[in-house]
Amino acid sequence: MAEFEYLRPDDVSGAVATVTADPDAAFLAGGTTQLDLMLKDRIIAPTTLVDITRLPLHGITGGSDRIRVGALTTMEELAADERVVLHAPFIREALLLGASTQLRNMATIGGNILQRTRCRYFRDPMVAACNKREPGSGCAAVTGAARMHAILGAGPNCIALHASDVCVPLMALDTVVQIQGADGERSVPLAEFYTLPGDRPDIENVLRHGEIVTAIDIPLLPAGMNSGYLKVRDRVSYEFALTSAAAAVWVVDGRIADVRIALGGVGTIPWRAPEAEQSLRGQRAGTRAFRAAAEAAIHDTFTVPGTQFKVELVKRTLVRILQTVSGVTS
Amino acid sequence: MTATINDRLLGQPFDRLDGVLKATGAAPYPSDVSIPGQAHAVLLQSPIGAGRIRAIDSTAAEAAPGVVAVITHLNSPALGEAPMTGLGGPPRNPFTDDRVLHYGQNVAVVVAERREQAMAAALLVDVDYEVSAPILDMDDPRAAVENNAWGLETHDGDVEAALAGAQVTYDGTFRIAPETNNPIGLFTTVAEWDGDRLTIHDSTQWPMMVRASLAAVFGVPEAGVRVLVPYLGGGFGNGLRTWPHTILTALAARMLGRPVKLTLTRPQMFTSLGHRAQSRQRLRLGVGGDGRMLAMDHDATASLAAEETNFSAIVIGSPEAYATPNVATHDRQVRLNIPNPSFMRAPGHAEANFAIESALDELSYQLGIDPVELRLINHADVHPRSGLPWSSNALRECLTVGAEQFGWNDRNPEPQSMRDGNKLIGYGMAGVTFGWYAAPCTATITMDSAGSVIVRAAATDIGTGTYTVAAQLTADLLGLSMDDVTVKIGDSDLPPAPQSGGSGLAVALAAAVQSGAAKLIEALIDAVGDSSPLRGKTVDEVVAENGGLRLRDDADAGETFREILGRHGLDHLTAEGTSDLAAAAKNAKMATAPAFAARFVEITIDEDLGLLRVKRLLSVVDGGRLLNAKTARSQIIGGAVMGIGMAMFEDTIYDQDTGRIANATFGDYLVPVNADVPDLDVVFVGEPDRFSPTGVKGLGEVGVVGVAAAIANAVYHATGRRMRSLPITIDQLM
Amino acid sequence: MVRAATKLGSVTEGTVILTVNGVQREVFVDNQTTLLDLLRDHLDLTGTKKGCDQGACGACTVHVDGKRIVSCLALARQYDGRDVTTIEGVAAEGELHPVQEAFVRHDGLQCGFCTPGQIMSAISLLEEGRASTDEDIREFMSGNLCRCGTYPNIVAAIRECADRDGDR
Repeated sequence: MAEFEYLRPDDVSGAVATVTADPDAAFLAGGTTQLDLMLKDRIIAPTTLVDITRLPLHGITGGSDRIRVGALTTMEELAADERVVLHAPFIREALLLGASTQLRNMATIGGNILQRTRCRYFRDPMVAACNKREPGSGCAAVTGAARMHAILGAGPNCIALHASDVCVPLMALDTVVQIQGADGERSVPLAEFYTLPGDRPDIENVLRHGEIVTAIDIPLLPAGMNSGYLKVRDRVSYEFALTSAAAAVWVVDGRIADVRIALGGVGTIPWRAPEAEQSLRGQRAGTRAFRAAAEAAIHDTFTVPGTQFKVELVKRTLVRILQTVSGVTS
Repeated sequence: MTATINDRLLGQPFDRLDGVLKATGAAPYPSDVSIPGQAHAVLLQSPIGAGRIRAIDSTAAEAAPGVVAVITHLNSPALGEAPMTGLGGPPRNPFTDDRVLHYGQNVAVVVAERREQAMAAALLVDVDYEVSAPILDMDDPRAAVENNAWGLETHDGDVEAALAGAQVTYDGTFRIAPETNNPIGLFTTVAEWDGDRLTIHDSTQWPMMVRASLAAVFGVPEAGVRVLVPYLGGGFGNGLRTWPHTILTALAARMLGRPVKLTLTRPQMFTSLGHRAQSRQRLRLGVGGDGRMLAMDHDATASLAAEETNFSAIVIGSPEAYATPNVATHDRQVRLNIPNPSFMRAPGHAEANFAIESALDELSYQLGIDPVELRLINHADVHPRSGLPWSSNALRECLTVGAEQFGWNDRNPEPQSMRDGNKLIGYGMAGVTFGWYAAPCTATITMDSAGSVIVRAAATDIGTGTYTVAAQLTADLLGLSMDDVTVKIGDSDLPPAPQSGGSGLAVALAAAVQSGAAKLIEALIDAVGDSSPLRGKTVDEVVAENGGLRLRDDADAGETFREILGRHGLDHLTAEGTSDLAAAAKNAKMATAPAFAARFVEITIDEDLGLLRVKRLLSVVDGGRLLNAKTARSQIIGGAVMGIGMAMFEDTIYDQDTGRIANATFGDYLVPVNADVPDLDVVFVGEPDRFSPTGVKGLGEVGVVGVAAAIANAVYHATGRRMRSLPITIDQLM
Repeated sequence: MVRAATKLGSVTEGTVILTVNGVQREVFVDNQTTLLDLLRDHLDLTGTKKGCDQGACGACTVHVDGKRIVSCLALARQYDGRDVTTIEGVAAEGELHPVQEAFVRHDGLQCGFCTPGQIMSAISLLEEGRASTDEDIREFMSGNLCRCGTYPNIVAAIRECADRDGDR
């Protein structure tokens, strides 16, 4: 484990300047991913850690239609927000189904969006072949024991899963990421924030070195739109999703007037399912339409023997959550 | 002549005596020990599954800040061989030569002033490996096979003829994944030498064994080795060997001439300690139309490490499970390049029970006989091999009381017949026979002039409640209050006691304490004056109560302990009790009874999503006399939770190219969490055992046995699909 | 294998001043030191346990500014100025915290290694108002593994505390 310098700048621009200037520097927020990878798994070794937790990036502002969530807001804090409870309850559900209370008190929303994959091949320095750590070195997971791995956006180069729960409803809601860098601020929709592994699995998002996520803007759901998050896993609690689905549906006279769908536990990035949404709009709410949407959502999968079951499981997961939020089970 | 159990305190649900220490964080575990001047050791482990070390360059590591030594097979002295134990041979010594036999084998020990420094330096040790292809598959034809290593196979009657003549036959193959014990307490060793004397704090369930092993390994007198473990953060069988890391810590301390501390990391808990072997069983049964089992052929193969001697005997309990006239068992192990499989709660029994009880469930449908009834039909009224009467047996009661309390007969036995919305409901049950194993034990009881006593034995409390039950029994036998008794265990300098393992410690220790109490009463009677009403009486003629002795037939004729000891100016009086139940069993003219149990479980399965959840789990247990109703219940509950893990989650996965454990963290190796476990019901039935001097039978492991079969049987009832491999996961059920 | 050189002249250690169990403590630590190691190795508060050191078992649970966290994934330097409570600090002098008492009475512990973390979590859970149903207790205690399997007794202990506090 390499030693490192610990810095605690007074303002955001100072933090950004420090990391921008030093290719071996990294930000430290809640620490639940960063310190795990540095001190425990020992697969990253920044020589300077810039602690941003005292910067003024805390808290939630906004109204019933849209909220801005400071990047340092913890998972527990966001789950408790009344606007979320009332206008996007599936965010709360996804948050509380993730990790444990202890971790949710530490982990920040910014950190959650930026969390690294749980792939044990990525997280073990004893494994040489990992394109995410060392592009071109290969992927041990593809031929290894993969179960908690991605089937969408995946390929022989990398099947590492983005394991966030809350990012699934955030994706469904067209969340926007606020970014500050040395050159100023910019906004990137969450849907465009992540990059697929392709031949560079080491690059996971559009963030440039030294840029910081300062907040996310979440458009909340209109009245009448029911939402829900379903997480399927071996244990009842405290486990990453095998599959999950976030759905928000507005049913008018038995027909689907509007719908948002995203999937978790299956993608190398949190997975929006526009084809499913498209196939449902205007349709009569019912299992037949839900199943058709699930079929539309899942295509171009890449599976290994241990992940094959997810192709069908995620479809059933989506059907079930659509039944639940629409109240139509037949 | 025995001291009388009064049932005044024994069996009562006292709070654990060490409960407050544990609830306040004050109980000292090995990992909490620090010795002034100690250096910190970390292990460097092999990243290959098989091969040879060509060269090790530790120059950079040795030069790193704070590093005091890098020890490898190249610079370590020759070590002696640890002796055979009652539970088999020792693990292969560390640093024996340049060969690598499994992933995670210890290759170097890096010692530094601080742990962080040792960890950093370990990354700088450069090891050049010659890599071979590891053998990791039990079906690999290159794998060496061991047959009947313990000589415990049974061949009773003519199995093939009986199978051929049976009206109904069964032939099924079962697979169980390797499981890792994973106690929450990270195994730790802190070693300090003073010349040839060694004091070692070590995570172990068996201080006497560690003492004997280390004395032999280092060629020093056994009496000079002291092993301390007042509290162990769980073991479940992991603490029944002297593992290489313990030897290496002691070695480092000896080479450096200063105390050394080593704590395994969680991933190292998978490679440095034992685990439940992977197993495959073929079970053939022949049954008459009336449901009577005529023949059993149980053939089991378990994984075994390349050059180790922990032969996991799956079929050990099969011959005594039911009244089957013709029985053959076949015990086999296959050598693989894996960490050393060893003991994990109810080793062998838990696996074999899954096969036998699943098979009976299948047969119950084939025969149209209720599963509970089928077990009653095949109940072994006497020991099925010896024909001797059982020393106790309430298995029938376990089954019938369980069925009654669970509402077993309220179910529709038809598969897939019960549901609640999307959820299929399933009921399943299993019978359980679990033989405990008690080794010779000594305990001393010392009474001081105030009439208080200290009980001493080199036993351990691994969470089972040894401190508490030993105090309860002593107080009960000597007519004292709980406050008058102090229990000292967890120290190899104390009177010799066996392991906490094999569910035999409570039985052996209780018998030793009872013998010690009788001898103490005898010594007290010897010490009374001529005018005492107790003069010349035997132990059987007196009663211990209210801090003294009195005549059994005259409540007013007696003396207090204080008076007896005070008269002679004795500060204290010590008596030593012993027990050797294995020896006693040979002449017992009865079959020493195992613990018996029945399990009843209700599960739900989400039909679409394959989610399996346990709704209710009832355990009815015959454990003989209970020492403490509260801690006894906790043992059963805890075993049941581990059984849920075995049934639904646990699977140690090896990468097939390197033997690397692909899920060696708590995020990836799943054990049950709180939300997986409903309220668990426990009912105790039966009588004090006639053979066990105190009537006690072991309860530490029986709790895990039968849970997997009951769950698998419930899955069949819910879905109509038979699960013959564990764990049962979503991908199989959806 | 990751190897990185420390930059010349960089400072890789420093002082942390924090309040632990009501007492202000000043500790000089290496930057790599976790809050867990600070408590155990520097302050000899060994009641907080290390069971996985990766945030997955909950044995190292402590309270920081009144909230439960896992101290193994907390960098000590980051907790400068914060208020930390460990298992050694929950009881008033000479008596047990009601949750500790309930754990003992309901045998919500066996080997006892996970127990300090369980109790720290349970105290928080009651304060969070998440003990109103058994299902909630189980869910919000699921970040604390107990390999001895004493979960039902832990639930019983917490249930009793919640009933007494009128939280159910």
